[in-house]
Amino acid sequence: MTAIRTKRSLAARAADVFLSDYFIFYLCIAFIIVLAPFLPVLIAPANAVNIMSNMWPLLIVAIGQTFVLAIGGIDLSQGAVMAVTAVIGAMLITLAVDPVTFMRTPLWGLILTEQGGPLAGVTGGVLLALVMMLLAAVLIGLFNGASVALFDLPPFMVTLVTMMTLSAFALWLTQSGNIANLPDDFTRLGRGDLVSVYFGAKEESQLARRQVYSFVTFPMVIALIMAFLAHIILNRTVFGARVLAIGMNRKAAVISGIPVRRIVIAVFVLSAVCAMIGGLLYSARLEAGRPTLGGGTFLLDVIAASVIGGTSLFGGKAKIIWTFFGVLFYVLMSSALSAMNLSAFQIDMVKGGIILGAALLDVFRTWLKRERLQ
Amino acid sequence: MMKIATLAATLLLTTAAGATTAQAANICFSFQDLETEFWVAGHKAITTTLTEMGHNVLERNANEDVNKQLEQIKDCIAQGVDGVIMIPQDGESANTIIRESQNSDVPIVVFNRPPADTGQGVIVVADNAGIAEDATDFVLQQALEGAADDAKLNAVVIVGDLGDSNAIARKQGFEAAVAKYPDRFNVIEVASEWDAATALANLEAAVTANPQIDVMFTSSDFLFPTIRSVLEPRGMWKKIGEEGHIPLAGLDGDATACQLIKDGFVDATGVQDLYFEAEASVNAIVQAVEAGETDPNEIIFDPGFTLTSANIGEREMDMWGCVLLSEGFLNN
Repeated sequence: MTAIRTKRSLAARAADVFLSDYFIFYLCIAFIIVLAPFLPVLIAPANAVNIMSNMWPLLIVAIGQTFVLAIGGIDLSQGAVMAVTAVIGAMLITLAVDPVTFMRTPLWGLILTEQGGPLAGVTGGVLLALVMMLLAAVLIGLFNGASVALFDLPPFMVTLVTMMTLSAFALWLTQSGNIANLPDDFTRLGRGDLVSVYFGAKEESQLARRQVYSFVTFPMVIALIMAFLAHIILNRTVFGARVLAIGMNRKAAVISGIPVRRIVIAVFVLSAVCAMIGGLLYSARLEAGRPTLGGGTFLLDVIAASVIGGTSLFGGKAKIIWTFFGVLFYVLMSSALSAMNLSAFQIDMVKGGIILGAALLDVFRTWLKRERLQ
Repeated sequence: MMKIATLAATLLLTTAAGATTAQAANICFSFQDLETEFWVAGHKAITTTLTEMGHNVLERNANEDVNKQLEQIKDCIAQGVDGVIMIPQDGESANTIIRESQNSDVPIVVFNRPPADTGQGVIVVADNAGIAEDATDFVLQQALEGAADDAKLNAVVIVGDLGDSNAIARKQGFEAAVAKYPDRFNVIEVASEWDAATALANLEAAVTANPQIDVMFTSSDFLFPTIRSVLEPRGMWKKIGEEGHIPLAGLDGDATACQLIKDGFVDATGVQDLYFEAEASVNAIVQAVEAGETDPNEIIFDPGFTLTSANIGEREMDMWGCVLLSEGFLNN
């Protein structure tokens, strides 16, 4: 009898862990424990710092996507928003450009000259450029949101069109050139350290540079503040409750008096702003505004990280902490696969399998929760 | 394969003679992609040589994503590699990555595609402008020979991604050659962005708008199949000596270009000496690691040469593409 009770209790505990908000976090720990003996680099301080620095910009973009997924939508334009806003910002503040590359651009002579952009070297120029980037992101978000909310167009179609148009626009603006020579105030946002740490005994007067690790960085602070605010908004405010209600049942949300259109528009604006901030950090760390930023498999990374965390693709179920753990797991997994010396193609194939696994896991967890309630 | 084996053997002997106590080093080899014959052959030469010298190679393919390349190289550094050889996606990202590597006290060599600021890292690069100028000069003269003295000819230049300093230098080389014949050429510029599909669309538009093409230079040999697919249906893909032949030149020296010069469809190609560049890159990183140099900065120039329909008999086997062709590369 005792044995049966213990067995049931263990199963129940396992189910508790499986259904917990922290399940993906536990999975991350298990992942490290299992792999660390074979891949000791996984727990090396330098690798931990890399994982964190890769995580922050992705987390910011994934936060925006989480809001859109929560209303049952999807935002395919985030990568393109990153590219356009990065190019706009870089064009304004670049200190110099190569005329051979940029003479053919439509803004040559108007905004871009050999001496850089109009805000190059201007006091507060970087801040002004950030405001312009924000404005551009808000406008794009408004367009996406209004198209979905007012004209009932499917988010997939609207954001696909926006993605195609904006990507082409960014390439046209720069004629595929990368805008470099950005001021230090800007690039510091992507790599600036607030706190660096050294692990080990101080045996020499001069520490080797590769043993000093960036620990608290600007991207970390920005991402954590944004994650905290997003968590409060989504899970602690009326606005957040309404977002989830729309995702659960849009018709019921309309009937119950929720201003669905306004909220849908606000969510798409939020998503575009998050994409812009993520793009800002990527541009700052890469020290150039790139029209191809956010291309390739980037969107796959964003959606995968959100879904792995537990956010439902069908809407109505989302938490920022899930996205946080989803991004952590995704970046950790990428790092481990890379340390295994797998090729880029093999890594993408494994990632695809893991995303499918996460989606199946989500279905199973939902079923298990329903069974428990019954 | 013979050439790579010879290169590896030479380096092995050199290293054994110079440093008998040399230890196996961990070298991270990061490349942006392997889309063209040049990159495939370069990748093979570098990895084979390093492996045969007894070093460990950690390969990282960034899939044309600069952020991924930065993250992969940071991962390599975290894994404790002794040195990095990189083929960057573009010149701007190259500088960021070089700084990242050197700030971590890891020496870095850039293979073939130079950074925007060439003052950082060991850079092994071809004299793109000079090679492009020579190759273009050859076909411009071919075009002028068959034209009336006062005729103005249409010269098409297919340019690469202008975010890549190699593409800029090749364009400048073409322009320098054209400038030698004032008022003789009307230049039609076609953007390729180093992408065959983009080149195809833009070249079709250019040829439709300008049906009379008198001479053409492509910034990379990998676009010859694209050029053929545009010219052949229009009856403009002719051999040297045939009526309507368009003098054609390229740059790289790949196996396809070698075959096309032999077949008489292409007149010239500027050759980057891939094996020299691979050898120089491997030598530079191994020497830096052995000497404990963490931030060596140097430019190693590959002077290159031009293989033409006139000198292919003598210089064929100096071109890496012809070597690959003789090993059956295009049949594999």
